[in-house]
Amino acid sequence: MRLFCCIIFFPLFFSFTAAQSPLDSAAIADSMLTLRLQAEMQSQINPVQTVSVARSASSTNPDISAIGDFRTSYSSTGPRNIETYFNALEVQVSSVVDPYAEANFLFSFGKDSLNGDFSAGLEVATLTSLSLPYSLQVTLGKFKPHFTKVNTLHPHAFSFVEFPAMIKNYFGDEGLFMEGMSASVLVPNPWDFYQELDVEIGRSASTPALDNGGSNKLLYSAYLKNFFELSENSTLGFGLSGLSGVNALDLNTVMAGTDLTYKWKPVQFNTYNSFTWQTEALLCRSDSSSGNAVQSYGAYTMFEYQIEKRTFVGARFDYSGLPMAKKSDERSASLLLRFQPTEFQILALEFQHVNSNYGASYQQVVFRAIFGIGTHAAHAY
Amino acid sequence: MKKNIYFILLMLLIASASQAQLKIVTTIPDLKSIAESIGGDRVDVFSIATGYQNPHFVDPKPSYILKLSKADVFITVGLDLEIGWVPALLNSARNQKIQKGGEGYIDASTNIPLLQIPSSVNRGEGDIHIFGNPHFWLDPLNGKIIAQTITNTLSRLDPEHQGQFHANLKKFNEAVDAKIKVWETTLARFKNTKVIAYHNEWPYFEQRFGLKIVDFLEPKPGIPPTPSQLAKIIGTMKREQIKIIINSPYFTAESADLVARNAGGKVVTFATSVGATPEIKTYIDLFDYNVGQLVSALQ
Repeated sequence: MRLFCCIIFFPLFFSFTAAQSPLDSAAIADSMLTLRLQAEMQSQINPVQTVSVARSASSTNPDISAIGDFRTSYSSTGPRNIETYFNALEVQVSSVVDPYAEANFLFSFGKDSLNGDFSAGLEVATLTSLSLPYSLQVTLGKFKPHFTKVNTLHPHAFSFVEFPAMIKNYFGDEGLFMEGMSASVLVPNPWDFYQELDVEIGRSASTPALDNGGSNKLLYSAYLKNFFELSENSTLGFGLSGLSGVNALDLNTVMAGTDLTYKWKPVQFNTYNSFTWQTEALLCRSDSSSGNAVQSYGAYTMFEYQIEKRTFVGARFDYSGLPMAKKSDERSASLLLRFQPTEFQILALEFQHVNSNYGASYQQVVFRAIFGIGTHAAHAY
Repeated sequence: MKKNIYFILLMLLIASASQAQLKIVTTIPDLKSIAESIGGDRVDVFSIATGYQNPHFVDPKPSYILKLSKADVFITVGLDLEIGWVPALLNSARNQKIQKGGEGYIDASTNIPLLQIPSSVNRGEGDIHIFGNPHFWLDPLNGKIIAQTITNTLSRLDPEHQGQFHANLKKFNEAVDAKIKVWETTLARFKNTKVIAYHNEWPYFEQRFGLKIVDFLEPKPGIPPTPSQLAKIIGTMKREQIKIIINSPYFTAESADLVARNAGGKVVTFATSVGATPEIKTYIDLFDYNVGQLVSALQ
């Protein structure tokens, strides 16, 4: 199976340059025709500027963006209750490489919660095909795998300040990253609805649930995404995901996940009101040295309502076990108030109450300011 | 007998292949309408945005990826109007034909004489389009340039029917030319009439039909109206005897109504695209509607 996947992946990726259609003489004739037309039209219209210089000057530069994440928090637990800090800076550089692929790099300068120092890290570095046959798309490099819907998001793209407990407890504060290859295909179906299958192979960073491992065992994940337009204003997304890797004991860990997302956004006034309800769950089964597998699970449900153009409110309920501890679990409830002066600035206030059977209960209030400059690619729907 | 059946099936296959329509996806319905005028029965066109939707803010729903993955031609307004959603869709479409520079990629802004090209750009000025104002389809003469650009691409992709495309182009141009005389004559007596607009999306219409847009309800492009901006507009309208505020279908009328009430003016909702109201079915209808709205408001 694994050998088969490798055999499939490599030829696919290196077939990027298989097909190209050269410009023909008709195109040149058309250019001449349109040039003449342009001259004619300009003689009819008041003198105006044309844009050829401006457009060509910017077209070869990659899109570059920088996103800052500043936080101030109060927590009822810990040696210091009040913190104020610059959490992270994300710098993204992306561009089309050639007619066959695009590249994306994301660097993060984050604050170490233990010593307070900033350190730089490479979060994403990918090359993605644009035009393989049979609606295939191949990505290689470092990326966030499609295990659960929320895991693919970067913190600034998630509505709430904190990631769901199930992501943090199983994969760390910012979710699961992997280095390897991913292939996705649009699945044809008789009902003509959107269905996409992603398959990923590689190695993950060490997380509470998974380990980079000392053996040759790789991480495999798959995600089946389904999308339905219920009406012009509402949509339903449903996903199934699965993952197989190794844990810190170099034994097998198998996980399954599911997600359901309902969105309502009136097309005509889509910048004024919207509603999102999203629920996800995961199940984890980790082999242990005693021979008995540890089974645990996590889930969250959240909603977000846009009251008016710039203001959103939301709530989320989390439940999460721990990957290698059978009887440990955590429950939390969060309330969110978010204000977006523009799409380049987000101010959010989140209240969270956390209960767990392995530590003291606590409350925290976090204020987060996200601000971005430059050109940042749109996030997936 | 068996051979005959195979032969008939083969002929049917060839016949259906030669009759295959070009699948076109456009970002806005105005481009769909023009593409249908040129392509006629040779094209099957789908518009992602509706006529009453703000083309700056369209959600890149996965269902659009399906449409784009099967498209032969993709027509975009360009000039970064759709920058918030088109790149995300194209990158996932897995269709080389319609990628930027591909044989089926049409940038409708090609050869358009653009207005309001900024000499410097700063986000502090709001949503500024660095290549120029992208609402150029709201001048019917620019519709003729778009039609020419579409004709060129369709003729290249389906050379067998280029005669039909050029004949349709001629018909389209004649229809626009005939109508533009009517619209200009109708609006001639309102030349230089001062108006207020919600968003800076009418410079091409303004230039073509001789209106004078004095100010906007948005203090800066894309920034919602503020009390101080509305107060300033009320003062301007009273001082300069301005009676008309142009709103768009996708902006709520609250701010415009408030200003109109306080300044003794009237709110006119213009159609920004084909399909903004049920009666606007074609590109020509779009201008018929807006000219009609303006005349009835000013009379």
